[in-house]
Amino acid sequence: MSQSYNRGLIEDFSRWREFEAGMWAWIFHKFTGWVLIGYLFTHIAVLSTGIPAAGASEAAIMAGEDVYTQTIVSLESLLLVRLLEVGLLAVAVFHMLNGTRLLLVDLGVGLESQNKSFYASLILTGAITVASVPTFIAGAF
Amino acid sequence: MAERYSSFQSGGRMWLLQRITAAFLLVVLAFHFFLLHFVHHADEVSFLASSARMENLSYYSLMILFLVTATFHGVNGVYNALVNQGLTGTKRTVIKWTLVAASTVLIVQGVRTANAWAGIGLY
Amino acid sequence: MSTQIPKQTEESSETETDAEVASKGDERRTEKRRRAAEERARRQAEEAEKAAADEDTIELKVFRYDPEVEGKQEPRFDTFHVPFTKGMTVLDALMYSRDNYDSSLTFRHSCRQAVCGSDAMFVNGGQKLACKTQIVELEEPIRVEPLPHAEVEKDLVVDMEHFYDQMEAVEPYFQTNEYPDGELEEQRQTRENREKVKMSTRCIWCGACMSSCNIAAGDNEYLGPAAINKAYRFAMDEREGEEVKQKRLEIIEQEHGVWRCQTQFSCTEVCPKDIPLTEHIQELKREAVKNNLKFW
Repeated sequence: MSQSYNRGLIEDFSRWREFEAGMWAWIFHKFTGWVLIGYLFTHIAVLSTGIPAAGASEAAIMAGEDVYTQTIVSLESLLLVRLLEVGLLAVAVFHMLNGTRLLLVDLGVGLESQNKSFYASLILTGAITVASVPTFIAGAF
Repeated sequence: MAERYSSFQSGGRMWLLQRITAAFLLVVLAFHFFLLHFVHHADEVSFLASSARMENLSYYSLMILFLVTATFHGVNGVYNALVNQGLTGTKRTVIKWTLVAASTVLIVQGVRTANAWAGIGLY
Repeated sequence: MSTQIPKQTEESSETETDAEVASKGDERRTEKRRRAAEERARRQAEEAEKAAADEDTIELKVFRYDPEVEGKQEPRFDTFHVPFTKGMTVLDALMYSRDNYDSSLTFRHSCRQAVCGSDAMFVNGGQKLACKTQIVELEEPIRVEPLPHAEVEKDLVVDMEHFYDQMEAVEPYFQTNEYPDGELEEQRQTRENREKVKMSTRCIWCGACMSSCNIAAGDNEYLGPAAINKAYRFAMDEREGEEVKQKRLEIIEQEHGVWRCQTQFSCTEVCPKDIPLTEHIQELKREAVKNNLKFW
């Protein structure tokens, strides 16, 4: 046989439209995972302003004028940060719900309805996110 | 019998740990979100309040455990994702230790912050 | 029409060889053959036209590639209009196209009844067994491509060597060192145990699952769903005995064994024999964990 032909990109020719639930679940889980680990690093970075803040005078801490309190309060006053927090909630909730689904799959529970449980986690994520918007946005305006 | 299987092959051990931390994080992350966004509100955060929470020993230990498991779960997840993309050889070793180093920095920084709030001298 | 390029090359090679021995009889024969070919081409074109106009025809777009023919080294899609008959499968349509329009159209098939496993293809964006895929269940035009994530040899034929290597890696045959007492005693399997491995024995080595697996596509060392299912079939067979099972688990547990599976369910979705592949892989993961916990 002569050399064979590797199709390269043609292999993925419009494939994403044919993806089944399980594949989408995997893609979303991976994406939300990346977001969450990225957030964990920034979260700890922001919170570490608590380290210098601990050295502030008692009066400053009581008045909330230390670096930590100031940083958090000024961040929280930005609408963009509030919206990002809603996004974070959505990402976290999906990762948790789909993670539960994956744990069940690992235990061999309900493998026949794995696609339904994926749709359920999507819908539930949407519902929980929408329901949380008032709490997350409160005081931002 | 033990000579056939002295211990877990690393693949299986990491797989199991990833699931165990997942189950733990599921509960603690839900608690964390609920406490800090619904019971308390993000815009009312102050050093004083964070400090008051951290001074409680069980809360402090839970948060330290939360930090460690989350870091493991996240970094191991990233590592798995990269290995699945076909990361091999020297590149893989380099990335592995970079991730270990990043995790260490994250955990150390997190513990220092918690200590600062809890009033533990070591930070 | 798709037939043009191969036709031309065929004709030119014919005239070349004929020119060497240019007797009168040969000339006549050549002329006759040429006319016959023309006639055939005309009939084919007519038929194709008629078929295209006819309402009850289906439109087939087939991936074409042949490294040995100059005009076909660049991959392309050919369109065939095939008259529809009740119960027609994708394989039937391909065979019709080959027999009536283009005899160079190449694809593997043998039993035509989902037993031999040679005609797994990528039909309308999914891995399907062409012989058990009904045309009526597909949207037109029907796009037929060779299996993704394998090298194409020609048209719809892909190199299956890697798939077979992975299958061989799990030692896909019965082994045991626990024999029944009597010398002529049969190695009997309990009904329950047979039920347990029943679905896993249905594999026909078509390679659809391997082709659909996103992880296998990125990691050539990954055993893949079919091989793991094969390992499951024997690891769960009680007649093999404890010792052989340990050996099997060792193979399954390698770094590129079961741990690579990300439970995307792609393999389970495409398996033409409805084998619950993901379920089997997951069970082996748990089996491996339990097995290791015992000795911890």
